Amino acid sequence: MASTRRSKMRARNKLAILAGVALLAAATSVWAHHSFSAEFDGNKPVKLRGTVTKMEWINPHAWIHIDVKDESGKVTNWMVECGAPNVLFRRGITKNAVAAGMEIVVDGYRAKDGSARANGKDVTFPGGKTLFLGTPGVGAPGDAQEK
Amino acid sequence: MQIRPIAFKIGAVLLACMPSSLRGQAYHAPRAAGGHADLSGIWEALNTANWDLEDHSAEAGPMWQTGAIGSEPAGQGVVEGGAIPYLPAALEVRKTNFANRRTNDPEAKCYMPGIPRANYMPYPFQIVQSPRGILFAYEYASANRLVNMGKPVEPVSDTWMGTNNGYWEGDTLVVDVTGFNGLAWFDRAGDFASDKLHVVERFTRTDRDHLQYEATIEDPSVFSRPWKISMPLYRRVEKNAQLLEFKCVEFAEELLYGQYKKK
Amino acid sequence: MLPGYKGVCIAALCAIAAGMAFAQAKAPRGNWTPPKTAWGDPDLQGVWTSDDSFGVPYERPRRYGNRTLLTDEEYAERAKENELLASSIQAGVTPKAGYWLQHEGVDYQPYNSNWSEFARQTSRQTSLIVDPEDGHFPPLTQQAMMQRAAAIYASRLRLRPESWEDLSIYARCITRGVLGSMLPVMYGNGTDILQSPGLVVIRYEMIHETRIVPIDPPNNPHPHLPASLRTYMGDPRGHWEGNTLVVETTNFIGGRAGIGPNGDGVKYSEDMRLVERFTRTSDRSIQYEVTVFDPKTFTASWAVVFPITEEPGYQIFEYACHEGNYAMSNILSGARAEEAQEKAQPAVK
Repeated sequence: MASTRRSKMRARNKLAILAGVALLAAATSVWAHHSFSAEFDGNKPVKLRGTVTKMEWINPHAWIHIDVKDESGKVTNWMVECGAPNVLFRRGITKNAVAAGMEIVVDGYRAKDGSARANGKDVTFPGGKTLFLGTPGVGAPGDAQEK
Repeated sequence: MQIRPIAFKIGAVLLACMPSSLRGQAYHAPRAAGGHADLSGIWEALNTANWDLEDHSAEAGPMWQTGAIGSEPAGQGVVEGGAIPYLPAALEVRKTNFANRRTNDPEAKCYMPGIPRANYMPYPFQIVQSPRGILFAYEYASANRLVNMGKPVEPVSDTWMGTNNGYWEGDTLVVDVTGFNGLAWFDRAGDFASDKLHVVERFTRTDRDHLQYEATIEDPSVFSRPWKISMPLYRRVEKNAQLLEFKCVEFAEELLYGQYKKK
Repeated sequence: MLPGYKGVCIAALCAIAAGMAFAQAKAPRGNWTPPKTAWGDPDLQGVWTSDDSFGVPYERPRRYGNRTLLTDEEYAERAKENELLASSIQAGVTPKAGYWLQHEGVDYQPYNSNWSEFARQTSRQTSLIVDPEDGHFPPLTQQAMMQRAAAIYASRLRLRPESWEDLSIYARCITRGVLGSMLPVMYGNGTDILQSPGLVVIRYEMIHETRIVPIDPPNNPHPHLPASLRTYMGDPRGHWEGNTLVVETTNFIGGRAGIGPNGDGVKYSEDMRLVERFTRTSDRSIQYEVTVFDPKTFTASWAVVFPITEEPGYQIFEYACHEGNYAMSNILSGARAEEAQEKAQPAVK
């Protein structure tokens, strides 16, 4: 019957597609281990301006903790997810590069569970200069105290 | 009466044949490729230090459900002088740690054990001496540390296994460790330190199959003075001894993330 | 010679060796002598990285056919792209190159680009896979294809992770496996090699792995562990063939990690056997080759080649992955929160 033939063909095509997908033996992950969208909500952008309380230079992600004051004056401590710090350590940045009390601006997306967490898509000083930048001697934070 | 030279020769031969303990001389370890004492091999502690560094009686473990298997045997302490000299506030923290040890002991979470704990966990570790430094590879949690034997380096960040700088004092390997993150415990009894922890270890081979391990522990924010632990480490002498893997993360996931699982 | 070892296409190897920035096509000819350790073994020691091969496709794009190397023109194009990537990353600007260009949307730009590594020297390779000669994985076995299709299908049905088991073995911070620890990714590509008489130790930065390889005389390997004793990084046995360290590894835990970067991709079986070859080709590079034998998963063996190179100033730092894995609890709690919202939705009008 025509319909059986058609459904057989559809099944065969599906199998071929699946086989093709299966042959994609190696999927390359993005920021190495999990997708951004598993943790953060692309529909909930946030812009935070606050004072650093502590910096966790840890793997697989470094986290900056900042106190953010809202219009009413209420302070919330946010956690901001960054990349893996070992790359920056290799470029001469140490744990002293970010100190408690520093004022920073974070552009990112809020955590899916609505908690005070965001990813640090862009982390800058209030003037706009990117935090955590590159080799010492090119304006990396902490340069002044290091040499 | 004049002693004839042959007597000295016979005496020397007799002395050489006597075991070193009777001779009254220190053991002279064979040399590793770099010319220093050879400490390489697979070693393991044989005591209850990982349960509790101090003297302790047998007692119930944190979970009655595992019966006697999860309970703690009696053990002689490894702390010189007996007690760890906590500052009063820190002693309270240790008590809280102990009360919450089932969930808060980093060992339960399969976190890296830090130094000195890695050396006396009840699992083997391997020492490899190479021109690039001395490697300590621990079976537990695949923890490891490469001791820098060149010019000392400063810690770049705080870590679990510390920044390890080593040097030789005769046949003793001295390892100076700083740059800790203050998150590791010393044992299952809640003994701990802060990120100001400074450990100086000494490894000395005392005969073919034993190392003497000592560690001086200093942290002025937790202890009133530096204190010291010491213990023998035993060589794993099985012909086929090799370091295996104890990647325990998957055994700790339910404990760590069970509350976030879909019901 | 190991039983059943199928040599990688010699032409491909020589071509790649000739194409490598630092490489010498053949060992001691002319003015370079391979260094030796104090006890006379070839010296592979140092901190090496696969950063220079990041961006080289794993499987060869079809347009290159059976070519293992780029033409001069193609190489110049790739070098230009690498320069752009390098300068953008160092300036903290999102590069308009590489996969930043290939992907769109917020998922692929979660952080500033300067958290990423970049190639310091441009690779000439068209792909990392050099055998089969088309640079592609051989076909999967029927069983493996079914398993993979079923896994992909199941994950499409499951919108959100129900537990940690729905995340990769790497996202769980357990391991990346041997292949996954060698293949180049965005960062963490450090490989540290130490030697002492009778041993070679290979340490990986991510995730602080240590492989202790005992060295045997070539025709007298001591036996592997029994089949009932398996580990994630397997049981390695090594020997020297001239200037090359050959490591045969078996006793893998199967069905957990995959054959791709970071241990992604098709999961290998417990029958997998790896034969790796490490050859120092200059003061600043080692040629790494690995042949994968896994008859339960692939219908033929296949091989990968790329150099690991010395990057001035490269140091390995502790990568305490599991200890810092906030992402795991965040991802799972996010999933539960979304489920709760969905459940609550119908009641809200």
